[in-house]
Amino acid sequence: MGEKQKRVFFGAIGIFVFLCIWYVATALTALGTVMPDPITVFTGFFTAFVEPIGTHSMTMHILISLRRMLVPYIAGGVLGVLVGILMGWYRVADAILMPYIQMIRPIPPIAWIPLSIVWFGFSEGSKYFLIFLACFFTIALTTYNGVHSVDETLVRAARMLGAKDNQLFTSIVLPTTVPYIFSGLQVALGSAWATIVAAEMIRSSEGVGWLIISGQETGDMTQIMVGIVAIALTGLLITSIMRGVESKLCAWTVRGK
Amino acid sequence: MKDKKKVRINKYLFLSVFSICVGIFIWWLVTDGLGIFRSNALPSPVKVAESFVKKWYETKPDGATLLQHLGASLQVALGGYVIGAVVGIPLGIFMAWNDKVDMCVRPVFDLVRTIPGIAWTSVMVTLVGIGFMSKALVIFISAMVAMVINSYSGIKQTKTVHLWVGQTFGASNWELLTKVAIPSALPMIFTGLDVALGSAWTTLVAAELLASTKGLGFMIQQARGIFRLDIVIVGMIVIAVTGAILSSVIQFIGRKLIKGGRS
Repeated sequence: MGEKQKRVFFGAIGIFVFLCIWYVATALTALGTVMPDPITVFTGFFTAFVEPIGTHSMTMHILISLRRMLVPYIAGGVLGVLVGILMGWYRVADAILMPYIQMIRPIPPIAWIPLSIVWFGFSEGSKYFLIFLACFFTIALTTYNGVHSVDETLVRAARMLGAKDNQLFTSIVLPTTVPYIFSGLQVALGSAWATIVAAEMIRSSEGVGWLIISGQETGDMTQIMVGIVAIALTGLLITSIMRGVESKLCAWTVRGK
Repeated sequence: MKDKKKVRINKYLFLSVFSICVGIFIWWLVTDGLGIFRSNALPSPVKVAESFVKKWYETKPDGATLLQHLGASLQVALGGYVIGAVVGIPLGIFMAWNDKVDMCVRPVFDLVRTIPGIAWTSVMVTLVGIGFMSKALVIFISAMVAMVINSYSGIKQTKTVHLWVGQTFGASNWELLTKVAIPSALPMIFTGLDVALGSAWTTLVAAELLASTKGLGFMIQQARGIFRLDIVIVGMIVIAVTGAILSSVIQFIGRKLIKGGRS
């Protein structure tokens, strides 16, 4: 067996054992009275694609959550990169903006939920605001660190050879910063996903977070577990897509390692 | 030359302080100064400062003082966090050290870690009801996941050369683990402790927003219901400051304990 087949083989065993333990625990112990077994949960998950839960099918719930997440994620990403580069490159911008970023960043995005509800009501706006906050600061700071990690000698060498500011930027600063930007985007994606789930659990009428909370309200444990499965699989999907994009776009750093 | 640099740093420091002052002044201007925003949309900085002082001894409107809320939150967060670390660190080390276990457990773990800690709230509330236990369990899960990931990658990053040297000198498997791998993984383990603390604290706030009868998250949710945004902002500040203090305590301990740098 090659290394890769071995990995798949043992991975399959691991997942199988996990499901077996889950099954046995619910079938034989008192846990079974409150917790559905894996078969029920996965059938529930797949039937949700054809039979709607609430007013939407599973596909729609996932798409709604993804849209809520992606719009402000992209906005926060673009703005975060711009502000990060600005602060990294100009000391004045750094001095003016940094104190605000340092003050606001320690507040968990979730703690903004009450304020966002007052300011934007229960509309999509409040969710956009939260996700924007969750992404913007992380991405701005990692970009800032990226710009600061630029090798001073390279900059001086380029200056000496007569590079202009924009040349300096495109051929030295940007290539050094891109891997940092991507690590920021990666972290922000995870926290955006966690935040949207939390926001939907607190206030919404559809989406994957709503699946869980409405399951809790009606005492339907299967629906809660179906929601968790949906969250896990979608989260896994978006982070792997992101990792794929990163390894394509930052091929030089991956190879360099 | 040195003096010149000092002056420049002072100039930027001055600019930062000036920037903050302008920010606070604008905040005051749009609220109290010109009255563009009423206090139920954006309370003035003066009001927030007042409530901050008052909330230490006043139980209105949510039935507990700031200190009691903070204590309740810390108790739950640290309880879940400590158990998460105690379980998570050995589990991560064990997973990384044993190849077969690694290959079996890794895929399951990769699936579980994509679930945000907060999503477990509903499960726990249904299982054990609203209270200390359900929140502590949710925090336990989210702290443990972060701990496992970091101690796992810490052990995995042990330099093979160091292990070879150990083997050449006849170290047993146990000695290799405790004398070579774990010491070299310590910086990563401390990063894990820091990350786990952050996620425990965030998850706690979320859990308290959702299902709680005391704590900082509960306080801001209650205050939001009656449009006391000054208390909401006070709560947010306390949450942020507490999180920052906890994280710097961990970093301080880490710096004291870890001898020698990375690389």
